Amino acid sequence: MKLYDWVLSPDCYKARLLAALTGQSLTTVATDVFPGKDHLTPAFRDMNPRATLPVLVAGDLVLTEVPAILIYLGGDWGGDNATERARQAEWLTFSQRLAGTLGLARRIDMMDAPGDLAQAQRDGTRLLRQLEARLFDRQTLGHAFLTGPAPTLADIACFPDVMLAPDGGVSLAPYAAIRAWSRAIRSLPGFIEMPGIPRLHELSPEPGA
Amino acid sequence: MTDTPRTPSQGTPPQWTPVALSRDLAPATAIPVIAEGTELALWRGRSGRLAAWHDRCPHRGMRLSQGFVRDDMLSCLYHGWRYDLEGQCRKIPAHPELEPNKAICVPAWSVTEATGIIWVSETGSGAPPDTGALAPLRSLTVERSEDALRDHLGDGVVIEFDGLHLLLQGLPQGRCVLHALTGPGLDAAGQRAASHRLEALRTRFEDSEDIA
Ligand code: FES
Repeated sequence: MKLYDWVLSPDCYKARLLAALTGQSLTTVATDVFPGKDHLTPAFRDMNPRATLPVLVAGDLVLTEVPAILIYLGGDWGGDNATERARQAEWLTFSQRLAGTLGLARRIDMMDAPGDLAQAQRDGTRLLRQLEARLFDRQTLGHAFLTGPAPTLADIACFPDVMLAPDGGVSLAPYAAIRAWSRAIRSLPGFIEMPGIPRLHELSPEPGA
Repeated sequence: MTDTPRTPSQGTPPQWTPVALSRDLAPATAIPVIAEGTELALWRGRSGRLAAWHDRCPHRGMRLSQGFVRDDMLSCLYHGWRYDLEGQCRKIPAHPELEPNKAICVPAWSVTEATGIIWVSETGSGAPPDTGALAPLRSLTVERSEDALRDHLGDGVVIEFDGLHLLLQGLPQGRCVLHALTGPGLDAAGQRAASHRLEALRTRFEDSEDIA
């Protein structure tokens, strides 16, 4: 499987993280979107006319939409019945809204993307409040993750844009349940980091010890 | 510890500010909080002990609340200067053979934890209010100032409203944290219902023309 990948993209990170957590190896093709504009070349557009990252290529299958890529990589990780899949689909859609609000704020702030920063921050904050309320509900049931007792596509899809919210000027300080959820995800065996989303330092050996 | 909630008289700043619920600060974690306009790094050692410091590393002023905790030491994320619970610098990784100067110390506030609530105070005099048997539920930030909310809710330390018991923590820029407590012994469904009431309360406050 080949992933056209940009290291600073939360969408690409979702695919890399899910592959890492499920023990699958991906061949990544580094693509410099900003400032390099590698995704605007004719060859890239020929593969993905929308000119977006990531793109997953598995044999004849070429996937360019993030939920589709996660569904493909996820297999039946985190549940295989219709109810569970539908629950996860709800959060996959929610995660697209996170990308269009918090993710947009970050792209405006860090990468000169066009858009209304204040509006994106307000809309993103509304979604963070919904996520926080949901995660509190889950805590009352003794669960750290969004849809089940274990992590699913729902968690992996939502995690990156939430963690990178401060890059778009949205503080995560008010959200205690999100903080606990983030720790639970970052504690998973096989967890990998991306710039701006560190692993839990306290779990790694002490430098110079 | 006092037996009854104290009501601060009008105009005097509260001695103790509620800054977090115990359940939201796990062992070996650090978070940023704000008390009386001062940014603090609140953290809990592996042993459970707490500290609240100015959120600026004495080295280059980076936020200590982004640091990480090992055992009962907080390490700054940036260059790894390491501080013990008293705020004393104990290790500088770039000079491991050096005993750090005693003068390298982070200014600390008093911090105490009682019945599931973490309180801080700059002076540390007296004891924080006693919330008795009330059970901490969750904290949530409202985009309204503490003053505006108090005009509406009243002046007590623990304010009863809509079946919830609220502690207020004013933040800069017209925001305020509500720490919500409930009566004791709520089951999970009851807690979720109370949380949803709290969400509705925030919506009401933020939508109200009277609370600006
Ligand atoms: S700023 Fe904290 S160690 Fe350098």
